[in-house]
Amino acid sequence: MNINKYPEIKSGGKLVKKIYVAIMLWIVGRAIQAASKVDREVKEEFAALPDDFIMHLHVLPSGPGMIVGKDKNGKVKYMGWNPKGKKITLEMKVKNIEGAILMFTFQESTCIASARSRLAVSGNVPDTMAFIRILNIVETYLLPKIITGLAVKRYPKWSQMNPFRKYIGRVIIYVRTFTF
Amino acid sequence: MQIPGYYEFCNKVRTVSGHKALDKLPEMLASVNSVRPMIITDKGVMGAGLVKPVQQALGTKIKAGGVYDDVPADSDVKTVKDIAAKYRAAKCDSIIAVGGGSVLDTAKGVNILVSEDSDNLMDFVGFGALKRRLKPLVAVPTTSGTGSEMTLVAVIADHEKDVKMLFPSLFLLPDFAVLDSRMTKTLPAALTAFTGMDALTHACEGYTCLSKNPLSDVTAITAIRLISENILKAVKKPGDMNARLALANGSALAGMSFSNSMVGMVHAIGHSIGAICHVAHGICMSILLPYGLEYNLHKTGHLTGELLFPLKGEEVYNSAKPAERPLLAIAAVREMNRELREATGGKHATCLREVVDRDGNMMIPRESLPDIARLSLNDGAMVYNPEELDYNDMLMVLEKAWDGEPLDRKKIRKGKKTSRIKIK
Repeated sequence: MNINKYPEIKSGGKLVKKIYVAIMLWIVGRAIQAASKVDREVKEEFAALPDDFIMHLHVLPSGPGMIVGKDKNGKVKYMGWNPKGKKITLEMKVKNIEGAILMFTFQESTCIASARSRLAVSGNVPDTMAFIRILNIVETYLLPKIITGLAVKRYPKWSQMNPFRKYIGRVIIYVRTFTF
Repeated sequence: MQIPGYYEFCNKVRTVSGHKALDKLPEMLASVNSVRPMIITDKGVMGAGLVKPVQQALGTKIKAGGVYDDVPADSDVKTVKDIAAKYRAAKCDSIIAVGGGSVLDTAKGVNILVSEDSDNLMDFVGFGALKRRLKPLVAVPTTSGTGSEMTLVAVIADHEKDVKMLFPSLFLLPDFAVLDSRMTKTLPAALTAFTGMDALTHACEGYTCLSKNPLSDVTAITAIRLISENILKAVKKPGDMNARLALANGSALAGMSFSNSMVGMVHAIGHSIGAICHVAHGICMSILLPYGLEYNLHKTGHLTGELLFPLKGEEVYNSAKPAERPLLAIAAVREMNRELREATGGKHATCLREVVDRDGNMMIPRESLPDIARLSLNDGAMVYNPEELDYNDMLMVLEKAWDGEPLDRKKIRKGKKTSRIKIK
């Protein structure tokens, strides 16, 4: 049997959901880039990642997706959605758009999504863990506590992230996310 | 009962269990048209004479294509490649793995290379890398702990790059598992104790961590019951074949459970202690299990309370109030460790500072705890732990486990409480 005769069937429809997830991925991708300049913990996490680190988070079978990684100068960049020509070192695949909706409407955290087999990861385990920690911090900056509480296992206590750091950081990250 | 919105469960291992289960080997091999299996084992198993009953069971019609008995304590890429070359040269058509976790994982790695006709294991790292059925694999465990005969994963180290690689695939589930009480009869008391506690940890974490599901729950509860009822019997009386068989079944069921529900912080910390201090995995598990259950009490106390039933039996469970059950379950695990320490003449450690090598030297110095804490944060099992742990949380747990003191529950930084019972 020649498998090439049977191309993968691309899913159609669910356009609104795809657009919503695409927008969320764009915001999160840009916010990660911004947080890497603003937040000490995010900076440290990225510093510990390999120099060629490029992460591709995307929804199967046909997107949307986002790519975040280090450029040649070691700076963290949001690199768009198209993996062509990029050497992906960590690939996180959400198995379908419904799983992505649960994640990006914060009904399921990244960990719960993994536990419920909605995410498939190819790449180095420590890099994956570091990226999940980065996502958790970025979500804390982007979202109000009531929503972040659903997306992370434990909302940071005062001793981990004081309100000054949180609110000032939030303003700067939002400004950097939406300006070029 | 909690039903996850979505879950996956798969176990397709044909299992035979009995005091002479090995007798089924020829029939099993015939069912997959194998006439020339390769036996993979290690020096310890070979020295204990455990390969002989396997060869005898094969009889005269099936002749093993070779016996490779040099698998190291830590499965590694070089050994896998070496065995694969021997497998090809001897024109073998299946694999019989006789041993503990390392042998079984090595055999899975060999099976990848010989089935895919490749020399590069790296091509098959991660989920979805394997696309088709592999050669027939028969797993004959000689310890009752890893449960690798029932799991879909192989962990193989690349010592040159100093990394451990994970190969998860449904195709790595063995075709057959043979649970024969004769194969664990000679296992020394201390090894029986900590490998059994390793299996108990698989089941307890499988039951309380995030990826649990109704099918993994059933296997976990039965595993805990079989292990808790029989571990001390097997340690005190190694020739108790019924206890040996029950432990082998408990371990296999625990493997089946955690292969489909994953594990949490106990394994994350245990893997790191193993990597830094080279301590046997089961020892770390037996010490850390009560700490893992204790740390997550505010999230999964109701589930920990349910563990009291298989751990201590119906009478104790029914006589305890729901709010008391979680702490009683944790106390039961600690009590089990103390009894095992007594039964093994002090060889079974109950806290990290008690872990010593053959010469009596401490294996986990207190100064190594910060490095262990840092490494644990990057372990994949942390994803499935109910509560978050950062570096300070890890260090707190490790220090208490080192001293052998219970956690101060007031000092645990808690996320949203999800336990359905208020714990006393």
